[in-house]
Amino acid sequence: MVGCKSQTSSGGGEKLTIGLLPKSKGNQYFVTCEKGARLAAADLGAELLFDGPTNTDPAKQNEIVENWISLGVDVIAAACENKDGISTALKKAQQAGIKVVTYDADAQPDARSFFVNQATEQGIGDQLMDTAAALTGGEGEFAIITATLTAANTNEWIKYIKERQAAKYPNMKLVEVKPCDDQKDKAQQETTNLLSAYPNLKAVIAVCSPGVPGAAEAVKQAGKAGQVKVLGLGLPSENKAYVKEGVTQAVVLWKVEDLGYLTVQVAAAVAQGKLQAGATEFDAGKLGKLEIQGDNVLLGKPFVFTKENIDQFDF
Amino acid sequence: MLAKHETVLLAVILVEILLFQNLGRNFLAESNVSNIFRHSVEIGLLALVMTPVILTGGIDLSLGSMMGLCAVVFGLLVKQFDVSPWLAAVAAISLGAFGGMGNAFLITRMNLPPLIVTLGTFSLFRGLAEALTKGSEAYSGFPQGFLNLGNANVLGLPAQLWVFFFITLLVWVLVHRTVWGRSLQAIGFAPQGARYAGISVGRNTGMAYVLAGAIAGLAAVILVARLGEARANIGIGYELLAITAVVLGGTSIFGGSGSISGTLLGYVAIAILNNGLSRITAHQIFDQPVSSVARELSGMLTGLLLLLALAAGVLLKSLAIRRARRQSLITTTNPTPST
Amino acid sequence: MKKYSREWSVAAAFGLLMLSLLIVAPHFFHWQPLLSRVTSQMPAMVVALGVALVIISRQIDISIGAQFSMCAVIAGLVAASGLPLGVAILAAIACGALMGALNGLLVAYLGLPSIVVTLATMVTWQEALRLWQQGRLLNLPEGIQWFGQSQAQGQAIVIGATALLLILLSWLMKNIAVGRAIYAVGSDAEAARLAGINPQRTTFGVFVSMGVLAALAAVMNLVQSPQIQPSCGDGMELKAIAAAVVGGIAIRGGRGTLWGVLPGLLLLANVNPALTHFHQPPYWEKAIQGLVIILAVVADGWNQKKQSKNG
Repeated sequence: MVGCKSQTSSGGGEKLTIGLLPKSKGNQYFVTCEKGARLAAADLGAELLFDGPTNTDPAKQNEIVENWISLGVDVIAAACENKDGISTALKKAQQAGIKVVTYDADAQPDARSFFVNQATEQGIGDQLMDTAAALTGGEGEFAIITATLTAANTNEWIKYIKERQAAKYPNMKLVEVKPCDDQKDKAQQETTNLLSAYPNLKAVIAVCSPGVPGAAEAVKQAGKAGQVKVLGLGLPSENKAYVKEGVTQAVVLWKVEDLGYLTVQVAAAVAQGKLQAGATEFDAGKLGKLEIQGDNVLLGKPFVFTKENIDQFDF
Repeated sequence: MLAKHETVLLAVILVEILLFQNLGRNFLAESNVSNIFRHSVEIGLLALVMTPVILTGGIDLSLGSMMGLCAVVFGLLVKQFDVSPWLAAVAAISLGAFGGMGNAFLITRMNLPPLIVTLGTFSLFRGLAEALTKGSEAYSGFPQGFLNLGNANVLGLPAQLWVFFFITLLVWVLVHRTVWGRSLQAIGFAPQGARYAGISVGRNTGMAYVLAGAIAGLAAVILVARLGEARANIGIGYELLAITAVVLGGTSIFGGSGSISGTLLGYVAIAILNNGLSRITAHQIFDQPVSSVARELSGMLTGLLLLLALAAGVLLKSLAIRRARRQSLITTTNPTPST
Repeated sequence: MKKYSREWSVAAAFGLLMLSLLIVAPHFFHWQPLLSRVTSQMPAMVVALGVALVIISRQIDISIGAQFSMCAVIAGLVAASGLPLGVAILAAIACGALMGALNGLLVAYLGLPSIVVTLATMVTWQEALRLWQQGRLLNLPEGIQWFGQSQAQGQAIVIGATALLLILLSWLMKNIAVGRAIYAVGSDAEAARLAGINPQRTTFGVFVSMGVLAALAAVMNLVQSPQIQPSCGDGMELKAIAAAVVGGIAIRGGRGTLWGVLPGLLLLANVNPALTHFHQPPYWEKAIQGLVIILAVVADGWNQKKQSKNG
């Protein structure tokens, strides 16, 4: 039953098997994560199993984790779409002796050993709100485009955006949070609607990567480039043109490939017992020594891509 | 007493097992076999009750959305109104039955096409689920006793599998051994004829939709127990998978012929396919390990399997007709009308 | 007018919606966002026209979303490789026609049920596309967006082309033998055959046309932004079928006019924008659309009952 790992796993038994679970496979963000993850796996000589949902069925992530439990992986690294739902499966993995870490979006704290966070949720929320305020002079209405209304990590970021706005920018007002289901076209249409429903809109913050080019295109088509600021968490490669044209003012992100790389490093270290609770820093191979806050391994601070530096990045 | 179609399905299942045993990693390990069924019981339940609906010549596209609505109401009752999970489960099943009644009323009383009615309720039920949760809420933190329904084993088998066995037996008896069940095939084959034969077409057809809705509610409860979370997007796409299992099992989409045993085999074939591909870690396809693209592959293969099953069915039928025609030419009777 | 009472009531409902927007949220009609909004609804309109033809012929096609996505990706890849837009468009049309032909072959000549065939092809194309593209956002080269014209011209082309297709197809359906054959086959295939129509060829043609229209719709979508996402067709089949049904196309075949699809689509597609402009939360959209579909179908049922009582 669920009590023991399968004996004939990972032929040879010495090679570490890591299961990497994205929120969804159809997202360039996670595809880039996987690239970094594979680099780390190659460096470490570990086997990387990558699988993820292709639609929004909440059961899929659980099923993949349970499949890995039965396959006998050594450690699972998961980006969690449904925080509580996935924790059910992750806890089962832990009970089976499999180590669990999370990345990008956390599970319940007792369902994993460490959370590889690109930055703290507060850091991300603050950075987005500060950038929006800086671009709009600290006043005006703004809207947020998110992926789904149910994803825990985007909701966390939105929460911190709201808190930051309340604390530092009382003259700004959040008018709407609209989901785009990770569809660029839908983000475009939602933003088009927002532009005419709220004629005084000053900024659009997109917290999901397809949302940033979608929102930008809508602003551009409405002829409001520069008047309505566009910023968000997006991939440089998807936003280069808009940033250069001045439609999108800032793309905030982190080195996504590094996130994947770090995740696998942490996963391997946890599986091999090299990283234990209570550690305050972690040696992440080519990334150097990184800070650990509590049980969060931090990649660093969010990075702001602008017209000046966006050409340097190709992901 | 297996029909030809079912024999072929059994063979397909055996081939799948052999293939995955060879190519896959620990395919037949107890934990995996348990997973195969634990992960697919909900779809199996939908497939079982979709069968009588399709037998009548109808279809129900709203079952997946019904699951979402029942799951959300279940979560609400338990977390916000402190209702015991078992009582809430009864409520969820009743809600499903009620939704099924809605479909039944529109389809049988108002004589509206099932495809469009259930397309409307597909949207409506999901929409109500989203509205109830304001698009974002999810309910979790259910008592362990309830969660065991989805995660623990009873006598060595997953708990929900026992429920599935019971419902399979129940539906089989209803469809194949009751007057009601047998009337369904007559209704699907020739509704007017059934009416002249004294069958209450409207009521009998309607009951198929009510049953389907109720079991969708049950499936929702089981899924919530398995995930430990109730949310509005539970069950997305499940109705199409259920329909696939039913058609694969040999039931005619036009109604009038089919069997629960066929549906069961169709469902098992798909469940094994879905799982087996995700166990193949040592082989690559298109530069990727098969297990990383298991979902996509199983989707494509299921589509192809479905087409093959349909085409085979048509070919076999035309061969049988030709054989019958040849035989009837030996005896001098009226020429058989062309189809 | 009574003959088209259904189409007119849907148009009236749409008109009411627009009126209330005019009163409560007049910014809805601000020129630029309005144009972009309408342009973005045109691809779904074209797909809906295609599926209306399919439904009139008493079939159904739920693979149209997958066809749309596939054609979009093919067009995008061809364009991204440097070939002129015209070649990309032709490639998309060829792709759509082939996929439609496959459906048509299986349904018309093998006699397989269309709902299951298109379910199978939908799943196959969808998953094949996911396998192939893995959700990559594809950047299109310069000169593709808006057909290489200015935004205003590009939007005019898309809206104009859709209008042209609507007018052309409606006229064909009423006045050309092929059009009437489609109605006939949808009404009663056997009677049509006895009247000299070839039901199989007609059905085959309808599916191929569906594929071509899906391809055209995909191109219209392609030119509205400089990037293509492979999941762009997700959910398109439901939008299109709902629009057709609400617009009066009877699922039992043989009835309905393509003109009705226009108010049907506009009504359903504007539920979400209306919610935004009324400052209401977005999660009511599906419930409202579901209600509209059910109301439309119930209205159909009432009309039929009335007719059968009178006739």
